[in-house]
Amino acid sequence: MISTFFGQDALSSSVAMAAAFVIGLAFGFSLEQAGFGSSRRLAGIFYLRDMAVLKVMFTAVLVAMLGLQYAAGLGLIKEEQLFFIPSIYGAQIVGGLIFGVGFVMGAWCPGTAAVGLASGRLDALVFLAGAGIGSVFFNEMFGVLKGLYAWGDGGVRFAWQALNLSAAGFAFLFVLVAIGCFWGAEYLERRITGTGEYWRSPFLRSFSAALVIFALGLMAIQGGASEEIAAGVPARTATMLAEIESAKDHMEPEELAERLMQGETGIMLADIRPAEEYAEFHIRGAVNISMSDLPAALAGKESKGIIVLYSNGMTHPAQARDALARMGHRNVYILTDGLVGFIDRILKPASLRMEPLSAEQTARINSWGHYFSSLGKPQMVQAQPEEPLPISRPIPPTWPGLVETAWLAENLGSPEIRVIEVRAQPQYNRGHIPGSVCVSTENFRGVVGGVSSMLQPTELLARHISLMGIRPTDKVVIVPDDKPHDATLVAMAFARLGHARFGILSGGFPRWTLEKRPVTTELPQAQESQYPVPSPDTFTVTYKQIIEYLKAADSVIIDVRPSEFYTGKKVEEARGGHIPGAKSRPYTEDISKFAHITMFKSSEELTKAYASLVPAKQTTVIIHCRTGHQASQTFFVMRYLLGYERVLWYDAGWSEWAARSELPVDK
Amino acid sequence: MRESTGPKPYMNPYLAGVILGLTLLASYLILGAGLGASSGIARIAAYLESGLAPSHVSSSEYFGAWGKEPLNYYLVFMFLGVFVGGLFSAVMARRLKFQVERGQKASRKFRLVLALAGGVLAGFASRLAQGCTSGQALSGSAMLLSGSLVFFLCVFAGGYAAAWFVRRQWHD
Repeated sequence: MISTFFGQDALSSSVAMAAAFVIGLAFGFSLEQAGFGSSRRLAGIFYLRDMAVLKVMFTAVLVAMLGLQYAAGLGLIKEEQLFFIPSIYGAQIVGGLIFGVGFVMGAWCPGTAAVGLASGRLDALVFLAGAGIGSVFFNEMFGVLKGLYAWGDGGVRFAWQALNLSAAGFAFLFVLVAIGCFWGAEYLERRITGTGEYWRSPFLRSFSAALVIFALGLMAIQGGASEEIAAGVPARTATMLAEIESAKDHMEPEELAERLMQGETGIMLADIRPAEEYAEFHIRGAVNISMSDLPAALAGKESKGIIVLYSNGMTHPAQARDALARMGHRNVYILTDGLVGFIDRILKPASLRMEPLSAEQTARINSWGHYFSSLGKPQMVQAQPEEPLPISRPIPPTWPGLVETAWLAENLGSPEIRVIEVRAQPQYNRGHIPGSVCVSTENFRGVVGGVSSMLQPTELLARHISLMGIRPTDKVVIVPDDKPHDATLVAMAFARLGHARFGILSGGFPRWTLEKRPVTTELPQAQESQYPVPSPDTFTVTYKQIIEYLKAADSVIIDVRPSEFYTGKKVEEARGGHIPGAKSRPYTEDISKFAHITMFKSSEELTKAYASLVPAKQTTVIIHCRTGHQASQTFFVMRYLLGYERVLWYDAGWSEWAARSELPVDK
Repeated sequence: MRESTGPKPYMNPYLAGVILGLTLLASYLILGAGLGASSGIARIAAYLESGLAPSHVSSSEYFGAWGKEPLNYYLVFMFLGVFVGGLFSAVMARRLKFQVERGQKASRKFRLVLALAGGVLAGFASRLAQGCTSGQALSGSAMLLSGSLVFFLCVFAGGYAAAWFVRRQWHD
């Protein structure tokens, strides 16, 4: 198993620097040998005179791609050891086009210009100076460019998943296309300049054949039972998220009813409630499988027929479905609105329905009633009793997101899991989750640019996190007491650092103790790490940017303060009221209390609530409160639990907006 | 084609590509990240700018995030390596020659102005897209990342679209 410098969080160590230098030597050597110390040769590709750039680059991409896929397929390297550049389509399209123009004008690119300089080319030196000036220009304009820089952020995306192919299948097609390009390039050179010396040469024939054989070999090793192929896992999660977003993972009760009545054989209906509840009543044809038994019960049915899960509500089936999807099940659906919805939409007799019904609809309802009532006795539950505190199951979290107490309990002690409690120090001292550290939200905030209570800049946050000994690859679990927004504020710090895997313990410390899970008074050991300082985040906005968004009028501003502040009835700042056009959705609406335990509401409830406020998942949403604290909770809900793609955070919030008398206010 | 840069012929491009690909693979497996060049340039630029206006750079949003010592970064060292590796190869192949490479009919000034303007655009664009031909087109594409492949295509789209307008620098 290979452990990289990135994986060990040691890219900034002197050994890594030396390794980078040595790799640079080989990089420079191969570029020069390819003839890329000559701008004339580089520019040749754009005039179809000399296609060396295409041949060298494509060959290099194919070799590295096949090598990496083999390494992953053979289990030599895991994805967390690798840094994947996120796909930010807008920035990459615009940047690519501008870069192409610069490339053909200057006839160099950054790497080849270094080699050109080493070959004595004065034009390379001038190009490098220009590239430096261009970088400085970008820095100076960053305030204006931020939006473009983050435009179309799709996270880490693989081309093969976009095309619904396996990595090996895509690699094979890529190899075929590249070979076509090689032969085309040789042919063009032969026709246009009389070169193209490898056209139909035995060399190019055997080289092409070798590439095809390697690509086929890859299909053989990845096509087998390698469920855990490193690169395959994020793809599955991404596909799953896409399906959830488009609600492809739901089945409406009407559709289920019709399909069951038609006697469709490929449907397996699984009731995942406790056995007593199942015994009392279940949908005709359902089998009872407890959530923890699902993976075993469904093993081997990854692509056989379809599986529909239901419970009373939708939270548990949704969790179970996500876990199954990660295990490779592509055929699992959840019943929309659960058993409650089924009773209401299918079993409720026509006579009890409020809405006007056509004769046809009445007949349909009667036929459902007849079919589904003929077994078991459906109890007409008027209103479901308040759901008790959900039982925690050890479902692996989707990062960033919520972490189940049961999962944390099972995985506690793993070196990559780091627990941060956002609780008062005296309480922490009396007992905390083993290995956890204690922080206060105020550790991460300070005065920035004259505004108080701002989340600290990346440099300070990285230093802070380093002192806690947290590395970029760690799984960070943030544990609130009874205020989830304390945990979400700390989560903002990790989001700002670009940390990949962080989550919030669902129900926090109170739920942990209620479930009688281990606590200790022992202080943890932490060895200082070197957390890298990333570029600034792209989700924090300033009042100036909000003004621009107000002008464009295609974004939604959500004010999460208690409503009396929104209306201006209560005022604690320079002025009262709200930003013109802002919608009110107090952050407290997103949580519910079970005695002293605070939980986020179920994702279906939240989905519904936000769907009525924000038109689409792609809409730009700006969230603010007074100081950024409460807003961090809504940010977490919308960005990570509901998957809104462009959620922005106005950290300075109302305290700044109210104080700037030139800014408009509505009441 | 005229061989203007030196006595030794270039390496077979496919073989050079294989060596480059293996270098990239080594970078993945050792560093955990691909190759890069534009970051090195940008960090050197940030370093030079902070020599002129230290407080301005440290308070700027983009460069400021790189801290007080922007040069303390692996890609800066890789960039130096590229230069040294290129120098070694150029000397070995007797291709080291001080000149402004251009078409015979094009003036030095014209070529240098285009090189400067091209550099500015490429430097700017590689910050915007978070990488250049090395970091995005080469390293990202070999990881089969969608955005990097899109970048790769766009580089060639932009290049071919502009090629006609700057062709005179290569006229003989």
